[in-house]
Amino acid sequence: MVKLTIDDQEIAVPSGTLVVDAAAKMGIEVPVYCYHQALGPLGACRMCLVQIEKMPKLQTACTTPVAEGMVVHTGGPAVEKARNGVLEFLLINHPLDCPVCDKGGECFLQDYAFRYGPSAGRFEEPKIQKLKDAPINEFVLIDQERCVLCQRCVRFMEEYVGEPQLMLEGRGVETVVTTVDHQPATSQFTGNIIDLCPVGALLSKPYLHKARPWNIERQESVCTMCPVGCTTLATGRDGRIVRIEGRPIPERSWGWLCDRGRFGYDYAIDPTRVTGSFLEGQPEAAARTTRRVGQWFTEVIAEHGPNSVAFVMGGMHTMEEARQLQRFATRAVGTSRLAISRDVPGYLPRALNGTFQDIESSDAIVLVGVDPYEAIPVVHLRLRERQKALPGMRLYGVAPRSLTRDTLPVNSLLTHVGEEAALLAAALRLAAGDHPAVRALGEAAVASHIDQEQLTGLSAALLESEQLTLLWDGQEPEVESVLVALATVRGDKPTRVLPTWGPSNWRGFELAGFPARIEALTEVLEDAKAGKIQMLVLWGCDLLREYPDQQLVRDAYAKVPFLVAEGLFPPSEAERFHAIVPQAGPGEVMGTYVNMEARLQIANPSVQPPGQARPTKTYVTAWAHALNQTFRDEEDWDPYDESGDLLPMQPLEQAIKPLTAALAVKEGQFELVTGVLVIENGIPSAILKPRKPEYPGRISVPDAEALGIADYGVVRISKNDHEIEVPVSVDPAMTPGRVYVPLGMASMPVNAVGTGWVEVIRLEEVHSA
Amino acid sequence: MLDGVKSLAKGMGTTLKALAEPRDTYPYPEKRREYSPRFRGKHMLAKDEEGHELCVGCGLCEAVCPAHAIRVVAAEAPGDEPVSWTSRYAVDYEVDLIRCIFCGMCEEACPTNAVRLTPFNELAAYSREDMIADKEELLRPAIRK
Repeated sequence: MVKLTIDDQEIAVPSGTLVVDAAAKMGIEVPVYCYHQALGPLGACRMCLVQIEKMPKLQTACTTPVAEGMVVHTGGPAVEKARNGVLEFLLINHPLDCPVCDKGGECFLQDYAFRYGPSAGRFEEPKIQKLKDAPINEFVLIDQERCVLCQRCVRFMEEYVGEPQLMLEGRGVETVVTTVDHQPATSQFTGNIIDLCPVGALLSKPYLHKARPWNIERQESVCTMCPVGCTTLATGRDGRIVRIEGRPIPERSWGWLCDRGRFGYDYAIDPTRVTGSFLEGQPEAAARTTRRVGQWFTEVIAEHGPNSVAFVMGGMHTMEEARQLQRFATRAVGTSRLAISRDVPGYLPRALNGTFQDIESSDAIVLVGVDPYEAIPVVHLRLRERQKALPGMRLYGVAPRSLTRDTLPVNSLLTHVGEEAALLAAALRLAAGDHPAVRALGEAAVASHIDQEQLTGLSAALLESEQLTLLWDGQEPEVESVLVALATVRGDKPTRVLPTWGPSNWRGFELAGFPARIEALTEVLEDAKAGKIQMLVLWGCDLLREYPDQQLVRDAYAKVPFLVAEGLFPPSEAERFHAIVPQAGPGEVMGTYVNMEARLQIANPSVQPPGQARPTKTYVTAWAHALNQTFRDEEDWDPYDESGDLLPMQPLEQAIKPLTAALAVKEGQFELVTGVLVIENGIPSAILKPRKPEYPGRISVPDAEALGIADYGVVRISKNDHEIEVPVSVDPAMTPGRVYVPLGMASMPVNAVGTGWVEVIRLEEVHSA
Repeated sequence: MLDGVKSLAKGMGTTLKALAEPRDTYPYPEKRREYSPRFRGKHMLAKDEEGHELCVGCGLCEAVCPAHAIRVVAAEAPGDEPVSWTSRYAVDYEVDLIRCIFCGMCEEACPTNAVRLTPFNELAAYSREDMIADKEELLRPAIRK
């Protein structure tokens, strides 16, 4: 610890701390443009000049580390004169268009000019004209005249994200921020530079001229697009959410968002959204629909007993809503058939669930199946940050496709589909084959050709690292046993896993009383197929799109006399449903979401639900009434009872099951690889449309040549009489013999085919004239 | 009785004297009073010489209005056809003349000198809706006959 004095107050901070951060700790604000804690010191804007005793000139607080006995003055005539001069220079070419600038009112240039700046400039020559409102990409506009050249955006893209798509161009007063080669920036993190920009130079295009800071209200909210659950600020204006910003949490999160979460908010006003009720496919008044469904509940329970009703929870509901539905299902209806909609079969015991802080202290990270850049983008940034802080960190990927990227080099071990567990077990056997936990896994053979050196490296990463974090996409359910065995072998050394599958709030649904394992859902569907279920209530989920076996869902639907769905959007094959009621979505209800860290996060509503959309409680109260019961919301259930905002840890009691052999390799066939592509997660967005890939499937270069596909094409993927048509693009990173299709796309439901070995043929693209 | 006649005569005297004096009242609406050009009456939205609206929809008038009588919704100018002198303009501009207290703060706050209070003060309508002046109405300032 280093002791120093700032403005006559003494403080002790760790050595290496910068003066600006030390001052911030004491609540002394040093004005700054270019410095950001996540990006490190630069000293470009000269705004943070402070006086340090025994130093002949003023020093930039953002580049000067503290020293023992240092005496700093953040005020005084010299400092004030310097700030005044810096601001006068910054304002020389700055246009006077605050009234039309979206940043006006929340702008650091305005604030500092008001507080520290000169009341008038002495510069009388005409100001330099530069580009105004020029697009950086589909979402971000740049006004080069307003830029103060702090370089935060350039450095964020180059150093933090690793995708150098912005640069400074020109010299002196002609310097401008622009994209490389004047091509649109393609990174999926560009939205963050809007938050980073201290002035009004980088603007959100969807939010352009929409509102002013004083006539909006920002609500603390949580992004529900993927299980990361980034904290956000939602701006509501005139009953609509018009902007999402990142919300930093001290010591925990920088407040970065991916473009999916930042610009995907317009699903709430999408024309396909359900805002009214439907009875037998026809629009119907909400009260009448609710009453009819209530009658069905009464009839079905009277005739077939309470257990003939099943509830499936899913979608973007809050934990409280899940609890209300669970209470209605178990108390008012009295059924025990509950499930959570799952699109992958894996399950992770709470005992192994880690947090993002574990990434920050791990010396080995293993990605099992998941590509963080595509599925959980903000975690990709966290991984990069960790890799930068610890260059020797062991980062392995075990998946049926290569997970390495330019921005995040990963030692990728390619497996066959469904062989991740076997490969991890083989790595465990290599170093701890005698351990009973490893022996319990059996001796499942690995068909993939793995470089022995790579396998030894993975083994060392798994067993020798001090702290190990794994990210797992849940596609291969047997990995759970391997993880339990791994944690057992490692003993006291921390082993933490982050589950990356949806629905984004599944942990919350589980806490509310819905069984999270996919077996519960399979059982419900099998029972429905066997005719044991008379009424199936789907809460926010679309099983035809989500459940891994589409045929089973289809068979189950066919046998259920009453299909009821609640949701933001109509479920696939909506005409099969007997009643559809609208959901009040995120940003419209208050509640708690539990993210992949098992962390409880509260989201406040910003707007009213549109049309007839109502929160869950409205429906269950009405239906409980139809069943002659009173639905009481007040109960002794408080998720915050135990400890802070993380769900209480549970002991690891899961049994280790021996692994089964993987599917046999079939010559001449393709392997179907799937994964989550968060931008195509089934939630529509008009703003994001230009960014959605037109050809989301992927195929390797040799395969494309063999099939006669140049760059893009359409293929038909078939297995056991089921087929889907997939527009594919050629991806050099793909392994020959494999084809990749994102999970959960309604236009190409990969669950209709299932994973494993498939036939692939090229289809001629029909171009309509 | 004499006192009564006396006071009657005195009263009539005052009346007759006043008959000859100049009048304090006007026969409204045949004749109207002149107001100072700085009188704060109904609002108007000004245009520049080229016919472009001066209002850019910055919303400062809305923010400063103590009676919450103003509502502004801004947007980007559609296509290449600028509505105001810059790319931003007000799609909606409404003044609720019932709420308005004619303090003139909006005029003072306006950075482009677009909103001005005219001397027009003949504000009457049969419904409350008619008392909300929309943008169309404000762009065509009423002139007293």
